Formats: sequence, structure tokens, C-alpha cells
Amino acid sequence: MQSSSVKIAALVVLAMVLLTLPQVVKSSFAIDIFIRILLFSFIGVAWNLMGGYAKQLSLGHAAYFGLGAYTSTIMQIDFGISPWIGMAAGGVVAAIASLPIGWLCFRLRGPYFTIATIATAQALMLIFLKFRDFAWGAEGTTIPNLGSSPLMLQFENRASYYYVVLGLLALGLFITYKIEQSWMGYYLVAIGEDEDAAEAIGVNAPRMKRDIYMISAFLTGLAGTFYVQYIYFIDPPTAFNLNISIEAALVAIVGGIGTLWGPVIGTVLLETTSALLQSWLGSSTGGIQLTVYALILMAVILWRPTGLMGFVNEVIARRREQKPRVRTAP
Amino acid sequence: MLETVVQAVINGLLIGGIYALVSIGVTLIFGVVKIVNFAQGEFVMIGMYITFFLFNSFGIDPLLSLFISMPVLFVLGALIQHFLIRRVLGPNDMPQIFLTFALSLLLLNLALLLFSANYRTVHTSYSDAAFHIGDLYIPEAKLIAFVVAMALSGALWVFLHTTDLGKAMRAASQKPDVAVLMGINPNWVFAVAFGAALALAGAAGSLLMPFYSAYPFVGQVFVLMAFVAVVLGTLGNVIGALIASLMMGVAESLGIQFVGADSGLIVVFAMLLLTLAFKPNGLGGGRVR
Repeated sequence: MQSSSVKIAALVVLAMVLLTLPQVVKSSFAIDIFIRILLFSFIGVAWNLMGGYAKQLSLGHAAYFGLGAYTSTIMQIDFGISPWIGMAAGGVVAAIASLPIGWLCFRLRGPYFTIATIATAQALMLIFLKFRDFAWGAEGTTIPNLGSSPLMLQFENRASYYYVVLGLLALGLFITYKIEQSWMGYYLVAIGEDEDAAEAIGVNAPRMKRDIYMISAFLTGLAGTFYVQYIYFIDPPTAFNLNISIEAALVAIVGGIGTLWGPVIGTVLLETTSALLQSWLGSSTGGIQLTVYALILMAVILWRPTGLMGFVNEVIARRREQKPRVRTAP
Repeated sequence: MLETVVQAVINGLLIGGIYALVSIGVTLIFGVVKIVNFAQGEFVMIGMYITFFLFNSFGIDPLLSLFISMPVLFVLGALIQHFLIRRVLGPNDMPQIFLTFALSLLLLNLALLLFSANYRTVHTSYSDAAFHIGDLYIPEAKLIAFVVAMALSGALWVFLHTTDLGKAMRAASQKPDVAVLMGINPNWVFAVAFGAALALAGAAGSLLMPFYSAYPFVGQVFVLMAFVAVVLGTLGNVIGALIASLMMGVAESLGIQFVGADSGLIVVFAMLLLTLAFKPNGLGGGRVR
């Protein structure tokens, strides 16, 4: 009882800090970093639903990111439809696309599932590179800048983008929380622990995996729309970039796979590291950011596979054990 | 028309030999150590850079540098297995996938930092030479690469089937628990398997160098091909991986010839998707053969 009210209080404080942050910090460089952190937290949260709870380790989430991005952009440029609607449509397209992709990839388990997901994202990128009549081909396109146009998901100040992506992250966390609390969450964890055993006790594993893949793809699609609206540009290597798939998995693993806040904590660590590296070394040294990411990932896997959240939980558990002793002391 | 097809098939088979070296490595590690090495392509890249620097600094012919790149990568492989992979073996997939994936990311970006993204090439006396049979054209460097690749694949097969260590590897692949009871030390066997697989990747790197450029991302081309070939040829099956690699080479080459220069990857993905849809267990069956 007490711990849950502490949690709610912490959540309220966190929300207030996050809501006032862009009003206090005016540097657009800093707000850009905050937006990146919130965006990749959101993508990590979406990945974590499938990769963290059900342990279906996808490295192909760029497929859904790209589909979301292209859906809203095509709707906006060719039909003049607001990207707000495009964003929802992009999520739906991504969710529908996850059905055939999942149907194929779920035939494989473990590492080969991972490889199949990489291949599907790469294949989609090639398709968009090839068909120039359909979606601007390899050249991509810039998204028309309408100035301040909130109904078209375009703003003149970065703070507004910040609030949009903060809202997305809140949505992702809320969905994760709801799933965690429901029977679905338990089924997913059971599948992640041992798929055969879960099926033996009556969990419909194929259906569960399909459903969570759809939810995960839907959320990733929303992120895609947001990203291209934010940078005003789209081309296949941007929309279907393997690095997006990698970072989605990376932030969740570093932060703590299969935990509500893991992807957020992981993103804060990785993106802060990356921003510091960039300010020290300049952006000219290609490769340094991913070299450092790879080292962090290896360190986490070898020494703390439960991620930073696992570490935090251990510390909390240790403190709880010690508490009664402190009280009984004279 | 027929000659174009035959020429495309020959080109495909020749490059397929290189794909085979990479896929046999992937399938050997999968069969014995039971993990997928996402970094296999980066070891091809390392083999290529070793060959490039040996040629550039000491004028060593790429074919001779096989005798350096293979042992270097064998030792590197045994060390990686002993100090990294061994710590994550077990029923949990996550650490295994992401450890080798992190290794791939690390090696690739280190190469980018150390050697820049420039393309490095080696020009040998046989780089441009070719045999002509009628209208058919067979580049010498590619033919040599193919013959050596097949010889190495054959040597691995003989090793797996006739030597005690090779038999121990196959035993450990088929029934790991029983193999331990028979007195086979799994750590030793795993280190040799990982080392051998990396030596094959190093060989692929050296053989490629006379006709292919080295750059940090070069491994990705080969590893993707190898993964598809390994699924197609049934996971853990050496002969299956060999045959599937040659098929992939031919399919890619026919795609380039008849669909367009940049359609090679599309053919590869199409083959993967068809395999998954209709033959998810690959064309054959079983473990390391």
C-alpha cells in the first residue's frame, strides 16, 4: 500500500518534471536530444512488448517504422490528409503488415527468427528503393513545410514536437502497464520462458505472439510517422534503417528486458552517452558511437543480463531486507 | 541466349564457392556450439584486411596470405569462444544472439574508425586474367578462389568424418550430454569448431581479395547470403550449406543477368521467404554431417 502510493507520487513528480522541462530548458540542441530520448524510449517500449516479455527477439522493427513513415507521408503529399490521421493509418498498416511477416518469421525460433526479421525489413527497404513511381524511389522526398500548422503535425517550435512524442511514450508505457497487469502479460512471459511448456499448459502461443507482434508493430509505425514529420524528409534508407531496429532492441536490453521502465532507462543512458561523445569528438568520427554502444551491450550481456533495471531491483531488494534489522536495533 | 545462361551459371557457381566457405562456418558453429554467429561476416572482412595489409606492406600474394589469415583467425576464434561465447551458452537465446551481434557491431565500427570507409583493392598478376572457352569467360582469380574453397570444404568434411577430433565434434553436435559422458571435453571441441569456422571465413577473405574490394561493411553482403543458405540447406548441415550456397550464387547471378544489376539481394530475400513459406526445415534434414 505504502509502496504503491510512493510509486504514484514518483510518477506525478516525473510527469511534472517532463511537462515543464521544455519551458525551463530553452536550448534547441538540448530539446532535440530530449526528443531523441523520448522517441527511442517509445520505440524501445514497443520492441520490448514483443522482445522483452515474449522474448521474440526481432531485429526488423525498422519495417514497421518505415511503413508508418511512408503511409502518413504518401497520404499527406498525394491526398492532402493530415499526418495525425496518417499516423493512425500508418500504425494500422504496420499492424496489418505484421501478420504475413509474422506468419513467415514465426516458423523459425531463436536466432533464426531474428535473422528472418532482419531480412524482411531489408526486403521492404529494397522494394521502396526500386519502385520510384510508387513512393519517390531512392531519392526520397522532402515533406512540404507548412510553417506553424498543428493540425498537419507541423510546429514552429521544437517544444511542441517534444510534447507529441512525450504523449506517444506515455501511450506506450500505459499499454505496456495494462498488458503487464493482464492475463496476456503472464501468457507472454510464459512463452518467453519456455514456449513448449507454455503451450502444454494451454497457452495459445501462436495467437499470443501474433497479437503482441501486431501491437508492437502498430506502436512502431506511429514512431515512424513522428520521426519523418520531425525531420521533414523521407527516403528508404532513413525509414527502414537497420540502426533503428538495432537501437530499439539495444535500449531495451541495456535498460532491462521485459520491464516497464527498462527501455526508457536504457535510452537515457545510451543517448546521453552518444550526445556526450558527439560534443567531445565532433560528429566527424564515424563509427565511434556504435563502437561504444557495442561495448556497452557486450558489458551488459556478460555481467548484468537483466540490464540496469535488474540492477536497480537488486539494490531495492537488498535495502528491503536490511530495513527490519535497522528498526529492531536499539 | 543459352550461352548467357551458362555464363551466368558459371559466374554464380564461382562466387557461390566463397558463399559456401562463409555458410559452412555459420552452420558448423550452429551445429556444434548451438549458437548463430552474427559476426561471421566481420571475420571475412578481417581476413580481407589482413590480406590487403600483407600485400601492401610486404608484397605477399593474397593466395599465400591464406597461410597467415587462416591460423590468425583460428586462434582469434578459439579465444572468442573461450572468453566470450562460453559465458553465455545455455538455454537462453537472448545473450547469445546479442553477444555475437554486439561483436559484429563492434568489429564493423572499429574497422570504420581504424581503416575509414574507403574501398581497398589488391591488384595481382592474375586479377584481370581469364580463360576463354568458346564465348564463355572464366576469370582466373575467381576460378582459383572457387577451387581452393571447394578443397577447403572437402578438407573440413574429411576432418569431421575421419579424425578423432572431427568425430568428437560431430558427436558433441548430435548428443552433447552423451558426448561428455564419453570423455569428450566440450570446451575444447567448441573452441576448435569456432576457430575452424573463423579460419574458413578468413580463407574466404583472402580468396576474395584479388577480385573484390575490402571495406568495413563488406561482411554484411556475405553473412546475409550465408544465413539464407544455412536455412535453405538445413541448420547445422555442412553438405546442405555447401549445396545451398552454390544455388544461392547461381540464383543471384541469374537475377543480376535477367532482372537487373541491383536485383541480387532481392533474389536472395525471395529465396529466403520461399524457403520459410514452403520448406521451413530446409531442403534436407539432420545435424552436422
